[in-house]
Amino acid sequence: MTGATLAITDWSAVSPFGTGRDAFAKGVRQQVSTAVRLDRERWGVPDDVACLVPDFDVRTALGKKGTRSMNRVTGLAVATSGDLLAGAGGLPVPRERTGFVLGTTVGSAQSTIDLTRGSLTGERPYHVESGLIPYAVMNGAAGQCAIWHGLRGPNATLSAGRPGGLVALNYARRLLLSGRATAVLCGAAEEFSDARSWIDHHSREGGAPGPVLGEGCALFSLTTEPEEPPLAELLAVASATFADGDRRGAVDRCVRRALAAGGAEASQVWVACPSGAAGAEGDGELDALTGLFGAARVGTPVAALIGETHAASASFELAALLSRAEDDSACAGRTAVITSIDPGGTAAAAVLRLRPGQ
Amino acid sequence: MAVISADTRDRIKTLVSDVLEVESDELTDTSRFVEDHDADSMRLIEILSSLELNLKVTIPQSELPRMVNLSGVYDVVGEIRP
Repeated sequence: MTGATLAITDWSAVSPFGTGRDAFAKGVRQQVSTAVRLDRERWGVPDDVACLVPDFDVRTALGKKGTRSMNRVTGLAVATSGDLLAGAGGLPVPRERTGFVLGTTVGSAQSTIDLTRGSLTGERPYHVESGLIPYAVMNGAAGQCAIWHGLRGPNATLSAGRPGGLVALNYARRLLLSGRATAVLCGAAEEFSDARSWIDHHSREGGAPGPVLGEGCALFSLTTEPEEPPLAELLAVASATFADGDRRGAVDRCVRRALAAGGAEASQVWVACPSGAAGAEGDGELDALTGLFGAARVGTPVAALIGETHAASASFELAALLSRAEDDSACAGRTAVITSIDPGGTAAAAVLRLRPGQ
Repeated sequence: MAVISADTRDRIKTLVSDVLEVESDELTDTSRFVEDHDADSMRLIEILSSLELNLKVTIPQSELPRMVNLSGVYDVVGEIRP
């Protein structure tokens, strides 16, 4: 291990709790449930309810310039990064040295499908809305965040499903440790859309009811050169795949590897935060964490309040952890674990030290 | 040179101001997309494809250098559209 500290200095979220870090922390503190009945005029989906970012509209949030073709996931990410960059903890380093790393599932399923449909149904295959093209590829959101805010460092998009937010932290960690960037904005985003809702619906056997879908974006400022004691230090991230159906084993393996890499002991862990996955994945994850830490140290996923946010779920878990840590001085210097698992066969775990040096 | 109808001109103006994200009264026949309305190369391609999509025409990319303002667009579309 190198001696460099990977400091999380600030964060923001645009979530079903509203816009900004304070709104999110308040929602976590007050255990606000965010599911709303969907407007049938606006959404043509099989779901009756979803956890939407309240009143979020890209052009209302960001203005009419540069947003004509911008999709929802990009709007969420640009708004979140804007809020983070405007925050008091802002960026201590020049934007030329600031990277951007975003976890996603497929970018925007809606934009990809809209573009493809346009090409198939138009007069000519190339008679498509070309403004959609940058957003129909999965790195549209991360690219636009960098363009919008002038972030000139490395720009990466990681398609990793539910563990996206943790895999993104690991990517940011490598950029910082290798000196490719001095600061990185890192997190994950997921939009609610007709396309995502239908894909989710059809991916379940016989259209069985699934978890309420949520959406939003959470981003964290990471740097190796913090000016003040950070909110947390990222000690290690580990990920694994499972093809054998052993979900518990995959999560267990990730946690043990991340603890070892971070030089932490399971006995020191203050809290372990599962991702709140549905079905067998969630059961396996919970089994692994309960086995390692005991039920008393396993946290309740924020997904219970803001819905299944897929790629953004692990980032929201981290945001919820930092919110709780803010309210509890007993956690200072303690270790925390965040895990995630995806039905596609990936799992990940991150180990952090909360409020170091306090 | 072929002349396009006033209707088509209006239509083109609406399409182009949409892409440039300006009110249609800000856009004149001679105001330049790049210099006066901050368009970049991506935006110019969007103008071309919006015209193709909505007017059901095909415009060769080689015409892009002439499409610097509305007047240029009217000329190009006028020559293509029967």
